[in-house]
Amino acid sequence: MSFELREHTADVAVEATGGRLGELFAAVADGLTAAQCDDVPAGVGDRFELSVRSESRESLLFDYLDELVYERDVRGVLPADHDATVTAAADGTWRVDASAHGVPFDAVDAREVKAVTYSEMTVEETDDGWRAYVVFDV
Amino acid sequence: MTTYDAGDVTLEKVRDFVWEIPKQGDMRVPARVFASEALLEEISDDKTLEQLRNATQLPGITKYAICMPDGHQGYGFPVGGVGAMDARNGCLSPGAVGYDINCGVRMMTTSLTYDDVRGREQELVDALFANVPSGLGGGGIFEGTIGDVEAILADGVEWALRNDWAVTEDLEHCEDEGKRPDADPSAISQKAKDRGKNQVGSLGSGNHFLEVQRVTDIYDDGVAAEYGLEPDRLVVLIHCGSRGLGHQTCNDYLRRIEKTHAGMLDRLPDKELAAAPAGSQLAEEYYGAMCAAINFAWVNRQLIMHRTRQVFEQVFDRDWRDMEMHLLYDVAHNIAKKEHHQVGVDADGEVVTDDEHAVEYETRELYVHRKGATRAFPAGHEEVPSAYRAVGQPVIIPGSMGAGSYVLSGGERSLHETFGSTAHGAGRLMSRTQAKNEYWGGDVRTDLREQNQVYVKAQSGATVAEEAPGVYKDVDEVVRVSDALGIGDRVARTFPVCNIKG
Repeated sequence: MSFELREHTADVAVEATGGRLGELFAAVADGLTAAQCDDVPAGVGDRFELSVRSESRESLLFDYLDELVYERDVRGVLPADHDATVTAAADGTWRVDASAHGVPFDAVDAREVKAVTYSEMTVEETDDGWRAYVVFDV
Repeated sequence: MTTYDAGDVTLEKVRDFVWEIPKQGDMRVPARVFASEALLEEISDDKTLEQLRNATQLPGITKYAICMPDGHQGYGFPVGGVGAMDARNGCLSPGAVGYDINCGVRMMTTSLTYDDVRGREQELVDALFANVPSGLGGGGIFEGTIGDVEAILADGVEWALRNDWAVTEDLEHCEDEGKRPDADPSAISQKAKDRGKNQVGSLGSGNHFLEVQRVTDIYDDGVAAEYGLEPDRLVVLIHCGSRGLGHQTCNDYLRRIEKTHAGMLDRLPDKELAAAPAGSQLAEEYYGAMCAAINFAWVNRQLIMHRTRQVFEQVFDRDWRDMEMHLLYDVAHNIAKKEHHQVGVDADGEVVTDDEHAVEYETRELYVHRKGATRAFPAGHEEVPSAYRAVGQPVIIPGSMGAGSYVLSGGERSLHETFGSTAHGAGRLMSRTQAKNEYWGGDVRTDLREQNQVYVKAQSGATVAEEAPGVYKDVDEVVRVSDALGIGDRVARTFPVCNIKG
């Protein structure tokens, strides 16, 4: 799994790949962290867990990233070092069970991403696994 | 006919500074770009025109979709975009308002001059930075309960007045007197309120800032006098929005629209254009939520302005009233508003794009979406506060840290050309990732201080690099176009003295 920050005139885009959907989601989330902070210290703060359910893969990715931004603001931490598992339920919905390291704001030189957007969002299967493209509003 | 070839799109020149993408394919109306050739060249460089063309597919869009001279690629709807949708059978689009509902700018005038601050710039910038929260997790000037947030959402700047964060004159110099009557706090989610309660009175990061500036040029003595602007005087410019509360509200409604109005969404070329049909329950709820978030943003800027008065009191050891620190005006540049506009129609009752083809005029109720565009109502318009009705609504256009900002007055042609709108800033030219490769925050700060006598203090060095003066378009050219078109007329120019940001 890996990600790259891509050019966008006003905002920041993340392109990510992963062998499994969960790895892809975690890679996009790592991209969200990188868009906010160049240098995240290791071993500071505690891990926290979150779970999100949604009606499609794409909306699940959107809701997962939206939840991470929410958790950032209410916990007062920068979520980093993401881990995620994505599963499909029998009723056709999708679920992500994830965790992240919550790095206290005072331990990082970070700036704010306002929100995840649907603009140009791509979640697609490739020969090697999965690829996603997400634009974040800065 | 003169045309401009922008790759996939060819624009036809209508007249000086007016370019049209004719209606074709799935476009419901044409699109117009208001720009000089130099600015059009920059606008053509990213996906702005593609996004503008997509915006013409929104239901009920009237006359044409508009791109301002500072337009650039956004998400879904372009930044610098204006779209007026029919309020009976059109739509209301959270994507065409943007995440930062009522992101906007306010300017406060003072009776201090540049000489009063020279030699003390560092002291002033340090004091402002220490007292005005900025950046990620910086908290707010006021941190209250959910009940406080609900009162702010309902009452706007009236809440600030009740709690000694405002004086009556502040309300008189704010659009809608700082309170949207259609606000519905119950339409804002608990999550949004949770995010908002610790952020009342905070700048955030990105392109948001607080700047002390000096007036360098006056172009219209009469209007400048009405606005309280004199050469060499210090003014304070504050740029920020509705913080996490607004961002969450936008996402909440994008998702609800996706679930409720999938049919309309499937016909649009970009999911981020998500729109609720006019008259639907969701359109009504979003309008109430957006108006409440507008109130929240006004209170946010009000608290920052009032705290700035207190900082000036400390630094200059004088009462803020003695320094005549008065709100000039507060303008929103991410907003949708129900407004009445006259549109020209032909013999069949179809809306025409140019006055010369109109056989008569009809008044339509429209949701005017301005995303990175400023309302610019001319003199005489009943919605301009009485303090400025004789000269037109003040329009504040911030430039970069190394360039001037402008105060304009709503232009006589704005209602005909742009649904009463003009530009909102310089407009970005370079991506944030590229900016960080080309600039280093420390160098940018040193250069600004040594070459331009501008003192910058930021939470994050990366933000300074991302907001370096070189990443922005030429604000002088943007304003020149607005002035030449008669949609927003130059009144005064200012130049930065101190700048704080996230």
